[in-house]
Amino acid sequence: MAFSSLYEEKCAFTRDYTLIKNELQNIEDYDKTCIETALHGVNQMVLGEWGNNTACQVILITDGSTGLGPMSLKESFATVNQRSATNPFPIPFSFPAKLHVVCVAPPNDPNLVKSKPLYQRLVDLTGYDGSICIPESPLNETTVVNMFQKLAEDMYTSFKGTLKCGNLESKIILSPAPVPYTKVTDFDYQSYTISELIEVCGFISVTDVGSPMAVSRHLVLPASSNKDHLPLTAEIDLTDDDATDEGKVPSFCVLLHGALKVENMAAVVTLAENWFGFVYSWADSKKKSNLMLTILTPGSDVVPWLGDLNNLGPSDSPTEQMGSFPVRPQEKRSYSQNGVVWIRQAGLQSDIQKILRHARKLPEKTQQFYKELNRLRKAAISLGFLDLLNGLAYIFEQECMQLPGSAHPDCALQLQHAAEVLRKTQNRDIKYVVVPLQTNYNSS
Amino acid sequence: MSFSVTNKLFPSNHKTVFVLDHTPYFGISCESPIELEFLKARAPGFIPMTPICKSLWTSSVESAIEYCRIVWDLFPQGKLVRFIASDTVAHILNTWSPSQQNLSHIMNAMSLIGVPPPHAINRNLEYTVLHGLRAAIEALSDCTEIQGKKMKSQSFGDVQTKLVNRCRVICITSARDNDSMKRLEEIFLSVLQQQNKVATGSDRLLTIDHCHLVIINTFPVNIESQVNNHSPKNLSPILTTEVHSIKAPLISNKLSTLILEHYNLGSTTVTGIPMKEEQNASSSANYDVEIYHSSDAHTAILKGNALDSSAIRTVKDGLEYETVTLKWCTPRGCTGSELQNCTAMHRITPVDVNSRPSLCLINFLLNGRSVMLEMPRKAGGKITSHLLASHGGEIFIHTLCTARSVLEDPPSISEGCGGRVTDYRITDFGVLIKQNTLVPIKTAFVEEGNRPMQKMKTRLNRHTKYWPLTISSTLIFNLKGYIDPLPSIITKEKITEDEVFQCRRIIYNLIALESKNESLYPLNTGQRVKGQKREDQYKAMWNELETLLKKNLHTADHRNIYNCLLECHKFNFDEEKLSEKVELDEALRELDHIGPSKSEPDAPRASVIRATTDSPMSPPPLTSINPPTTKSSTSRSTGIYSAPRTLLDMFTSQEKVKSRPEFTGRSTGGSVAKLYANHKYADSGSRGESMEVE
Repeated sequence: MAFSSLYEEKCAFTRDYTLIKNELQNIEDYDKTCIETALHGVNQMVLGEWGNNTACQVILITDGSTGLGPMSLKESFATVNQRSATNPFPIPFSFPAKLHVVCVAPPNDPNLVKSKPLYQRLVDLTGYDGSICIPESPLNETTVVNMFQKLAEDMYTSFKGTLKCGNLESKIILSPAPVPYTKVTDFDYQSYTISELIEVCGFISVTDVGSPMAVSRHLVLPASSNKDHLPLTAEIDLTDDDATDEGKVPSFCVLLHGALKVENMAAVVTLAENWFGFVYSWADSKKKSNLMLTILTPGSDVVPWLGDLNNLGPSDSPTEQMGSFPVRPQEKRSYSQNGVVWIRQAGLQSDIQKILRHARKLPEKTQQFYKELNRLRKAAISLGFLDLLNGLAYIFEQECMQLPGSAHPDCALQLQHAAEVLRKTQNRDIKYVVVPLQTNYNSS
Repeated sequence: MSFSVTNKLFPSNHKTVFVLDHTPYFGISCESPIELEFLKARAPGFIPMTPICKSLWTSSVESAIEYCRIVWDLFPQGKLVRFIASDTVAHILNTWSPSQQNLSHIMNAMSLIGVPPPHAINRNLEYTVLHGLRAAIEALSDCTEIQGKKMKSQSFGDVQTKLVNRCRVICITSARDNDSMKRLEEIFLSVLQQQNKVATGSDRLLTIDHCHLVIINTFPVNIESQVNNHSPKNLSPILTTEVHSIKAPLISNKLSTLILEHYNLGSTTVTGIPMKEEQNASSSANYDVEIYHSSDAHTAILKGNALDSSAIRTVKDGLEYETVTLKWCTPRGCTGSELQNCTAMHRITPVDVNSRPSLCLINFLLNGRSVMLEMPRKAGGKITSHLLASHGGEIFIHTLCTARSVLEDPPSISEGCGGRVTDYRITDFGVLIKQNTLVPIKTAFVEEGNRPMQKMKTRLNRHTKYWPLTISSTLIFNLKGYIDPLPSIITKEKITEDEVFQCRRIIYNLIALESKNESLYPLNTGQRVKGQKREDQYKAMWNELETLLKKNLHTADHRNIYNCLLECHKFNFDEEKLSEKVELDEALRELDHIGPSKSEPDAPRASVIRATTDSPMSPPPLTSINPPTTKSSTSRSTGIYSAPRTLLDMFTSQEKVKSRPEFTGRSTGGSVAKLYANHKYADSGSRGESMEVE
């Protein structure tokens, strides 16, 4: 992307080297340095292509100037705390990103010396450990090439670690390399860095895992193990094989993948102190199956339905010690509580109608009639909705008068009884429960 | 740390106090009669009833309770709400304690308070909302459980971030005009400053760093209010106030708009939910259900393509906020059976919790099914952007990854290291997986110092002491008919007497089998083990069994089984032990010399494998070695001694060995050589080292 007071996407994300090279030769000079504009552009471009979850590297190549006057970096910072929701400062980016500011300027350039603290502030704002790169003195092609070389080496180091399950283990590479994660809660923030040792601590069926939120996902690729051991094995066993062919050296990763796939299970792994993930078999649309690591948000309580991940134990524990998946919260949510909400009239209306439906089917529905009646009565008392109690009593009385001749005699008696109870002010206590009137028809 | 982080810390929504005006004025009717449709169609004899109206009190209570319902559904922890009703005094309905942070507690407390008192019970008492506001400010300087914990860790030296006490008061009252409203705000500020002075001198109370006062000024529908709205303004660095003047039946709508700001929520309308008609079950119509959840669930789709996102955002009639409309996608197959690429996950709650469409959607989800939500694209087509699913009785919205994946066209695992090996012990590892399936352990049984997860690692370690990766690198694990359940017993932490006995039986059976000279391999399993002669099979079997048992000496009982093996089958590695046994062996030596040579595998009861000094690298034992043969049936029946070796045997075999590569023990100059070192690598395939950690 090239930028001045506007920005221009020179070429889309690609691995086509010549395409990039050609585009780079077509960059023209425009008006001025507006770094904020460029950063807005970066945000837009990355979100559009990769979403807000893919870790990216942003390399800002500059001559060491931060611009002048309006839209200069200095101006941007001056207004950073007065931004509205419609014009936010582009940093921190909407996705995990390291910002590297590469200054193609002599290290002692006075302009650069002035700009450096501003660049540093920019890098700090991203929340990730980016960098400011300055070539060694003197400024020439070699020193600039060296600077980029070094940056590339720093940025593209792959993650090498070990996947371990008891005594079984395999050297692995994670692709893409995971980045440290900063977890922010209401009262704390903490940065976590993934350990080189990823340790399996048990297995859970994929169905039980659900689809928890992932910080990121990574392919787990088995890496070639220490070659020192190969000659020994070759001598013994694989005399007629090419022992150096890594494809034929058994790898725990491949075994794990196969078994997880067959069993439809996921392995719970620890990534660092109090940081967990799942390893499972994953196939893209092209039917190529792979071992995948899903990294959860740090912490042991990040998947509510699995409970505290530190408290997961073997399924042959004593029965009284074991719970089961999914772990349920102690309290039910409002939508499974059959609570009363009468903010919209329809809610109240359907509650009353329900009672009347039961009323017409008395005495068979006596239990249901009084259950609903008590529910409504209790809510009305809590909400101080006394009009409703009187209104309902009135409705019952009217209902009574309109009963068809074929109606059961108990019907009238119960409705009359209910109406009386509703009108009695001394009964306006939620602990009071309206009970059916004992009649000749239901006393048995 | 960057400002974005510190801005997010200590949000005002941790502590909210509702102050409800309970003065006589709130007992009056909203004058907004509730229409009961079903009464309209009544017969002519029906006497019209006096209309039912909610009071100002009922309207404010139900709206405030609805606010809490949403908060507590979405945030079961950490977002606390307190209620204070105010008439002649402040009635505190609940505390910050989590046990009092639920709807049933509030509803019960409300019923105890009852309706606002009628006028003039006592003319000497002053009915005002100020009592409640004062109590609210006191409540705000009380420490919540989480704040207490944070304070404690701070005093222990964790000064990463200093605790900031931000909070919010939502007051539903009725003021005469702008002046009285202004006075109310000013009094509030001065009480707040007063309270902070008190708190500074107290080690129990917290100073209030910032308070957000939201005043809802309400009145019956037939009245014009003299109070104007005003948007948030900073009355002081520690107080921001705003006023909303609203007719009583609309308080709830106003609070809906405010709750989205207060808790950073978003609204999604699920559209096109097919639902059976109540009256006519055969036809179905499409319905919409609106849900609330954290606005982060929308970040991915709203920040992406601007055109796409503007197309799905709408403002509903009578409301002030935007909702994102996503289409119900009739579930195909079982979406729960695979791990979705989920980038965010948030609890949801329906906006209209008791409406039929909401209940229909909720029950559908609570019954274990899940729903994908689709978003149309301007460029054509649509994209699955969200998943609604319930887990343990809670419903979540999962944000799915809609962007391009960096894992495009990945290689298959079969293309990498170990990918071309075809005989992994997948079924056996499946058994190990099942044995180590996790379940939640109840908190009461969790040891603090040794959490179940830690124990699981130890357990997996034990289960994999000896675990060859491939079928061709093991013999015993392919002989399940003979050795099961020994491998599963031996890896247990503790074993019972019965299990010890079981293992002994297995060893005795193997001895018996050997004596009958039965092939261990009934089938040709494509093994590449050299010299598939029976004696070699048995030799390899015994050696491997010894490795397995030796690596699993967890208790005395385990050792018992190992000793049993040593007693039953002579291994040459323990020379000392052997020489001790020489006398006993001598008695049996003659028996060893009877019978046909073991080089004649077809001879009946002939080839009993002896443990020799031969490593697995050695060629098969030569016939010239005096072959030990079967023993008398009596000694066999005791099952204790199989084919013991004499010292002579050993010497002779060592002579023969000379032409082969030197033993490790010798070549390393007398230092202790690892027993069966090569055997191990050979048997565990080429990855022996990673398999067997001492």
